[in-house]
Amino acid sequence: MTFSTFTTPTGFLLPSVHSAPPFFTQQPHPDSNATVTEQWTTLFLTYARHRKLFVLRVEDAETTDSEWVEVLRNERINRKLLPSYLSAIIATMVSKNVATYDPPGQNRSVLLYWRLPEEWAEVLHGWAISTGQLNTILTFYEITDPPIPSPLSNIPITLLRKAIAVLAKTGRSQLISIADGEGVRLFQGTGK
Amino acid sequence: MHRRGGLAAFDRQEQSKRSFAVLSTQLSQSQVDHLHAQLNQFRTALAHFATTHRDSIRKDPAFRHAFQQMCSSIGVDPLAGPRKGGWWAEMLGLGDWQYELGVQIVDVCVSTRERNGGLIEMEDLLRLVTKLRGVSGGEVTADDIVRSIKTLQPLGVGYQVVTLADGRRMVRSVVKELDEDQAVVLAIAQQEGGRIVEDILISRKGWTRGRARAALENMLLRDGLCWLDEQDEECGKAYWVTSAMKWDV
Repeated sequence: MTFSTFTTPTGFLLPSVHSAPPFFTQQPHPDSNATVTEQWTTLFLTYARHRKLFVLRVEDAETTDSEWVEVLRNERINRKLLPSYLSAIIATMVSKNVATYDPPGQNRSVLLYWRLPEEWAEVLHGWAISTGQLNTILTFYEITDPPIPSPLSNIPITLLRKAIAVLAKTGRSQLISIADGEGVRLFQGTGK
Repeated sequence: MHRRGGLAAFDRQEQSKRSFAVLSTQLSQSQVDHLHAQLNQFRTALAHFATTHRDSIRKDPAFRHAFQQMCSSIGVDPLAGPRKGGWWAEMLGLGDWQYELGVQIVDVCVSTRERNGGLIEMEDLLRLVTKLRGVSGGEVTADDIVRSIKTLQPLGVGYQVVTLADGRRMVRSVVKELDEDQAVVLAIAQQEGGRIVEDILISRKGWTRGRARAALENMLLRDGLCWLDEQDEECGKAYWVTSAMKWDV
C-alpha cells in the first residue's frame, strides 16, 4: 500500500499524508504531534487560499456540508478529523500567528491568515492604485464587494480593518466616518 | 670465557652485556631499515595501483568493494594515514568520497526524520541518496552506506545499522535503544505497509496481549516511531510505524 496525492472535485491537490489513516488522529508523542499538526496547518492554509476561505470553525468538523469537507474528511479511507483535534490544531495555529480567534474571546472559530494583515495591506494598496481609487473615500462595502471581483472580494471586515491599520502606520490610509458607517481614504504615501 | 671469582669478573660481565646490547641494537636497526624499505616499496606499489585504477575504484561499486576488502585483509585502513584525510584519500579521493556520502546520508536521515521517527529502511535511504547525488554521482551500494556510517561513528551522533529478523536492514539516526520486540514489530509492520495492531502480534507471534501492548505503546509514546490511528475499522486502535509507510512523493 502506498499513500498518494489526490485531486479533489474543486481541483485541490491533497498531499499524500491525507490518505494515511493516522493523519486524522491527534498524536500522543509530542514530536509526532508537532509534525502532524504542522502538516494540517499547511494544508488548511493552502486550501483556504485555493478556495478563498477566511474562516475555520470547530463545527466544520461536525457537519458534512461544510466548505471544508474535502479536507476534514477522507471518504476513501473512511477517516475524519475529530472536532477535539481540530480545536487543538486551531489553538496551535493561533499561537503561531497564522490565525486569530474571531470574534475574540472564544476558541471555536478563527480567521485564517493565508495572507498576513501586512500582506493584505499591500494587496489593498495595490488594488486602490491599479483601479485609480486613491484619495477618494471608499466604503468598506465597496472594497469587500466591488463590481469587478478583486483579490479583496469577500475579505472579512476584521481583516480589512487590520490591513487599513497597517497602512495607517505609514501614512497611507485614513479611516473616515461617513453617513452609514465607516469608510477609508487611501493615499499614495511617500515610500514605506 | 673463563669464569673466576673476584671483583674483575663483575667488570667483565658488564662489559660483555654492553657489547651484546650494542650488537642487538645494530641488528634490530638493520631489520627495521629493511622493513621500512619493504613498506615503502609496498606503499609505492599500492599507491601506483590506486592511482592507475582511481577511476574504476570510484565509479565501479564491485571494484571498490574488492579493493576495500583487499585493504582490510592486509590490515590497511583506507582512511588512515599520516596526512589529513589519509594518504589513501589523497591517492584516491576515496576518503572525500566516503565523507561526502556520509554527509548525504545525514542529510537524508535528518530531512526524513520527522516522517519516520529517525528510522529509515536501507532501500529507501539508498534511493534518496542516489536521488540526491544525481545521475553523475556514480552508483552507490548498501555496502558503501554501511561503510560511510562507520566513518560517522567518531562524531558520536548515534547513526547505526540495525538488522531485522528477516534480514532487512534499517538505518537509525537517533540515539534510541531498539529492543528485540520492537525489531519484530518493525519487521511485521514492513509487510503490512506500516499498520500494526496487538492482534497481529498475538496471532502471528504468539505474544500475550500485555507484551504486544507494551511493545507498541513504547514505540508510540517513548520513541515516537509510530503514529496512532484511533479510527481503525477493525480494531478501533491501530499503530502505524512511520518508517514502514510508503509515500508516493
